[in-house]
Amino acid sequence: MNLRLILYLSILLLGAILGYKDLISKKILSRLNTLQSISLLFLLFIMGIRIGVDEKVINSFLKLGFQAIIISVFSIFFSVLFVKLVRMVAFKETDKVGYKGES
Amino acid sequence: MSLKIILAVVIGIFTGYFLLPESILTSTGLIIDIGLCLLLFFVGIEIGKNKEVITKIKKMGLKILLIPIMIIIGSLFGSIIAGFILGIPFNESGAIGAGFGWYTLSAMILADYSSELSALAFISNVVREIIALISIPLIAKYIGDIESIAPAGATAMDTSLPVISKSTNPKTAIVSFITGVVLSTAVPILVPIFINI
Repeated sequence: MNLRLILYLSILLLGAILGYKDLISKKILSRLNTLQSISLLFLLFIMGIRIGVDEKVINSFLKLGFQAIIISVFSIFFSVLFVKLVRMVAFKETDKVGYKGES
Repeated sequence: MSLKIILAVVIGIFTGYFLLPESILTSTGLIIDIGLCLLLFFVGIEIGKNKEVITKIKKMGLKILLIPIMIIIGSLFGSIIAGFILGIPFNESGAIGAGFGWYTLSAMILADYSSELSALAFISNVVREIIALISIPLIAKYIGDIESIAPAGATAMDTSLPVISKSTNPKTAIVSFITGVVLSTAVPILVPIFINI
């Protein structure tokens, strides 16, 4: 995990420095969004393959799926709710930045 | 974006289930690592391009840590309530919730305790990650940018980060990374604590 953390952080930093110093060519920058979308969807496809190819996961999914969905939905719901509450209390002054929207 | 995400995962699951041999698992690990690094690099460029981001984060200061803390409390609270409904002891449901979407680690920690619970932790956290990927663009659009980090849990620093970055803004992407680091550190601490209560 620690090695991974360092790897992720250094790659993020490398990208951030290159972006900050304007060392990335305009051509790549203009396609950044498309590049991100394509690699993201490809990655999700591979993640799906990993779930589908593993007989154990699929079998236990059918068996434990209902419980798993209840647990994860509740976890997510309360995480979002608590973050929303703390945001209303502690981050009042933080301006809302516009969304980039979908693309 | 949400629809594309669902389609990509579902097509992947069907391809894996019907078309590919289980031996492909090892090579997909490498592809995921490479793809993730590429995506993180793009996210980095995006953060770097927005030069005012760092000052905004500095202005938030230590308050940033409130976000992972709230996600921890919310996840544990939610999973314990769900466990109560399903008749699972609170230490077991709490341990599952403390996986925060990091399915491989939470399942591994619980493997010694019971294989049934380990399987449930694995599936619950896989489902959490899938729901996170689908709901992040929607939460970002209708509830708020910082709130969209919450479903991601520990994956806010890697697999969910590109989705959060795409659905929100560079400031949220940095907060997301920090949140993911804190939550990933909390998983190996909190899962054993809960299961040993």
